[in-house]
Amino acid sequence: MSAQIPIASFKPYRGEKARLARAYDYLILVLALFLFIGSFHLHFALTVGDWDFWVDWKDRQWWPLVTPLMGITFPAAVQAVLWDEFRLPLGATLCVAALLIGTWIARIFAYHYWNFFPINMVLPATMLPGAMVLDAMLMLSNSLTITAIFGGAAFALLFYPSNWPIFAMFHQPVEYANSQLTVADLFGFQYIRTGMPEYLRIIERGTLRTYGQYAAPLAAFCSALLCSLMYVLWWYIGKWFATVRYLAKI
Amino acid sequence: MKTLIKPWLIAMLWIGALFVLEMPAALAHGEKALEPFIRMRTIQWYDVQWSTQKFNVNEEVSVSGKFHVAEDWPVSVPKPEATFLNISTPGPVLIRTERYLNGKPWTNSVALQPGGDYEFKVVLKGRLPGRYHIHPFFNLKDAGQVMGPGAWLEIGGEAADFNNTVKTIHGEIIDMESFGFGNGVFWHLFWGVLATAWLLWWVRRPLFISRYRMLEAGLEHELITTNDKLIAKAVLVGVPVLVLAFNAMEINRYPDTIPLQAGLDQILPLPAQVNAGTVNVDALKAEYNVAQRAMVLQIKIDNRSQSAVRIGEFSTGNVHFINPELPAARHKPDGDAITTAGLNIDDKQSVQPGEQRVLTFVAHDAAWESEKLDGLIRDADSRIGGLLFLYDDLLGKRYISSISAAVIPKFS
Repeated sequence: MSAQIPIASFKPYRGEKARLARAYDYLILVLALFLFIGSFHLHFALTVGDWDFWVDWKDRQWWPLVTPLMGITFPAAVQAVLWDEFRLPLGATLCVAALLIGTWIARIFAYHYWNFFPINMVLPATMLPGAMVLDAMLMLSNSLTITAIFGGAAFALLFYPSNWPIFAMFHQPVEYANSQLTVADLFGFQYIRTGMPEYLRIIERGTLRTYGQYAAPLAAFCSALLCSLMYVLWWYIGKWFATVRYLAKI
Repeated sequence: MKTLIKPWLIAMLWIGALFVLEMPAALAHGEKALEPFIRMRTIQWYDVQWSTQKFNVNEEVSVSGKFHVAEDWPVSVPKPEATFLNISTPGPVLIRTERYLNGKPWTNSVALQPGGDYEFKVVLKGRLPGRYHIHPFFNLKDAGQVMGPGAWLEIGGEAADFNNTVKTIHGEIIDMESFGFGNGVFWHLFWGVLATAWLLWWVRRPLFISRYRMLEAGLEHELITTNDKLIAKAVLVGVPVLVLAFNAMEINRYPDTIPLQAGLDQILPLPAQVNAGTVNVDALKAEYNVAQRAMVLQIKIDNRSQSAVRIGEFSTGNVHFINPELPAARHKPDGDAITTAGLNIDDKQSVQPGEQRVLTFVAHDAAWESEKLDGLIRDADSRIGGLLFLYDDLLGKRYISSISAAVIPKFS
């Protein structure tokens, strides 16, 4: 750690030093953007995977449980660094924005142009509202505990309602083959996926059957609890991986 | 300098060669990759036919046929409690519009019964022009993909002409190719703009080095201004309020939505078509001669029918060995399945009604090797399985038996 600079002797950078510091800011921002586009997108594809890829995987139980739980990881780690070392409350929003940039690129080029799926079948979900709340919560509370409990919970609880405006229309019923399907199910039936038989879908499986038909809120609250724990875990992973030792020498 | 130029020159030549040389397309899609004992002793396809192999975008093609679920289902393969009749395509170049099992339309996965007989039909609609090698196949949960016979399909026309409209229960006609896309983009843009504004609010001011130094100097209070706090409070309250308001609007807009459907169909098998009890066949012994690429099978036939019967065909893993001496066994090829006249029987006399006879037949062809079926002798479960087709001498009526036996390799 570098030595504390006394307040009295602190002089802000001016002139050439200020310009160089600003150039450094942009350099880091661009690098961070590409790093998070690649790494967070990869992490998300490997963990959330099909729940985010396909419209007919976005169910009431697993999708709102798994997506925020895996989605809060990088935001927590990056917040740990950007807030603790720089008091910058933008880690979560930056990460999720980078994830969405990578996701949209993959959906358009890999899924649509390369593998011929209609883009509406592979629309990604958004976690931006939850990420902004997470950033604001950390900034206002300046507390890991409060952010983990309330911010983590908000990140999970806001996920399903913020995505319902995108995906509700895909849950309209259709009569097809003497049965009732959603439009989303019909996408899965019609647009052939050789490696994705219907039984592979991990949807609507579980024991949330004793609360009437309110599976989505229950899954969201379960996710909220887990997100609070996951947030702390990844906060410390972020702290563990990050260093400002080079900055301290400037 | 010379030392630098040379490797660069070689690298550029290699890259140039990649563009100049003809690159053959990879046409196979792993149909021979599954271990032979699974291909032979799970789903046993027969009578698979395509309605046409040349059609245009928006036109339909159907593939229909039958399959027997082997009684001798391998112990290492989970029982077919969840399976899915699929079509191997390079992406959705066709769409699946209808699918039937034993005449019933079905969209989900299905549980099959070992020993059961089924007939299927899948209707497809051309979406993207091109020439594609397509198979019907079964996804078996926790086991893999058992391919049926493939065929080359040629789709003509223009991709832009493709249309796929569906009517919802409320009567709304929707275009599946574009439905919900504009709405999805709108919401992503909406939240994207707000998130970008939040990011720009912070990025517009000096960031890393400056803030780090100020934090180290104890000037934390200068890093977060009153305006910052005001905006953060607005975000903390405003974003959830917006989310809940938009969510409520959407619930009102689509009040009759339903959850994703996740049923497993239970469709009973047909009355026995294979091993129907009229002509029973029991495999006694099987030897595979590696050098001659020949499978020698000793079987016992118990003819309980009213007519004399003879062996016409043995099929396994989409390879059909035909008895060339039996006109009744005229074989209409299943797509591009391998058909060979390499079936020899030691006793050419018909098996008379009421007679039980042990005889030996040899199925020999290079297909054992080219189709990677000879790998059976190196499998953990080295038992062969297949369908034996017998025909009566009078009417040409067909009797089908699913047989299986442990295979003994003969290396010389």
